[in-house]
Amino acid sequence: MARRYDSSTTTFSPEGRLHQVEYAIEAINNAGTCVGILAKDGVVMASEKKVTSSLLAPAKSSEKTYKLCQHAACNVAGLTADANILIDQARLRAGRYAYQYCEAIPVEQLVEHVCNYKQAYTQYGGLRPFGVAFLFAGYDTHYGFQLYQSDPSGNYSGWKATVIGANNQAGKSFLKNEYGAKKEDEDEKMKGEEEEKSAEEAPEASMPDVQEALRLAVKVLNKTMDATASSPDKMELFCMTLDDDGECSHKILSADEAQKVIDEIEAETAPSGDS
Amino acid sequence: KYQVQISEARKMSILEYNGAAIIAMGGKDCVGIACDTRLGAQAQTVSCDFRKVFKMNDRTFVGLAGLATDVLTMNNLLKFRQNLYELREERQLTPKVFSNLLSNLLYEKRFGPYFIEPVVAGLDENNKPFLSGMDLIGAPVYTDDFVVSGTATANMYGMCETLYKKDMEPEELFETLSQALLASVDRDALSGWGAVVHIVTKDGVISRELKGRRD
Repeated sequence: MARRYDSSTTTFSPEGRLHQVEYAIEAINNAGTCVGILAKDGVVMASEKKVTSSLLAPAKSSEKTYKLCQHAACNVAGLTADANILIDQARLRAGRYAYQYCEAIPVEQLVEHVCNYKQAYTQYGGLRPFGVAFLFAGYDTHYGFQLYQSDPSGNYSGWKATVIGANNQAGKSFLKNEYGAKKEDEDEKMKGEEEEKSAEEAPEASMPDVQEALRLAVKVLNKTMDATASSPDKMELFCMTLDDDGECSHKILSADEAQKVIDEIEAETAPSGDS
Repeated sequence: KYQVQISEARKMSILEYNGAAIIAMGGKDCVGIACDTRLGAQAQTVSCDFRKVFKMNDRTFVGLAGLATDVLTMNNLLKFRQNLYELREERQLTPKVFSNLLSNLLYEKRFGPYFIEPVVAGLDENNKPFLSGMDLIGAPVYTDDFVVSGTATANMYGMCETLYKKDMEPEELFETLSQALLASVDRDALSGWGAVVHIVTKDGVISRELKGRRD
């Protein structure tokens, strides 16, 4: 088998694979799910909170969501210890860029820096890769709101909506159908074929707003989480929007606000046989 | 002694090249910090709106007197370090910790220093005034009355010593601080051309611009 090509990160297998990197990606598939959804007026990230014990005294405000700078934040899936190193790297990079240029770092550049750092561990040194996947949410004046996903290989890509962590395939296929899907009642009658044409030309037309995105994110988590009943203590909802001064605001929803979103979804799905 | 000779001008200390005057004073549950707004190239005045006092957060202010390029650089560096602190620790820098950070940053450059002599003013966790002053390699002094820095320190020490009283309320602190600064810079060629005064209380900051002699 490929046993003899497994142990070193810096060796390709005969099939042209880096097994250590793939095993690192496997490690993340056991971690708490994170959903990211890009909206017209912001970015939403929802994550499954894996509460291990009621005796646990959390030191930081979140184990999943981290602020990187004024205009960027990330969600973590994987080994928290590994994530802490990378988050610190990202914060330093954003700070140094601002120090040098007196300008906010463009989001993609920040993501690329973190990914380049991760990539080094797949090519040099004989050290293992980082067992973390990130969802980066950010805003800059060049491209507006953005959502990126990165994995242990150092690969990254921009998304309108994506899922990482446990059951991410189920989450992604759910999003494929649900993201940007118009509500059945009014639009089908009015738009007709025009909608199909415009869906390709103007994809922003079907981009949800932050409130819709929050509901969609919770729906995805409901699908991917094992538990049947969703509640605020099992999930963490984060949204990034612009406030009135044009500054980015990072908000982790309180238990009440999260409960409200959950209730809205339950109200939606309840009268399913009516229309 | 760090000295520089620029074209035909006489030798002067590098710390006196741009000119500055900063005073910070403690009051009753409040603190004030004021600076002049002149920026010069030795004798020539280049700007009348070069502020040397920077707000770090609602409770911490820093005044940086000395070479203007280092004033701006140190401000950017402090903002960077403050930002990192707040991201990592998820809490705000208190004036005392900020002062220690600044002292540390300056001493790191012990044998090639930043040419600035800073002043830190703020309110601690109990809303009590905090003041500290430092030399260019970070040696701090902590007082509860006043700290001064810049090209007119001899004048400022005299004015403050005379006008200062303990436990002044914010309005009286403003008057005292303003008079001390204005009178000091009038007798100094390198500072003046306007001033800014910030009075910090637990309820917020009030900033006022002063018009003085424009010579």
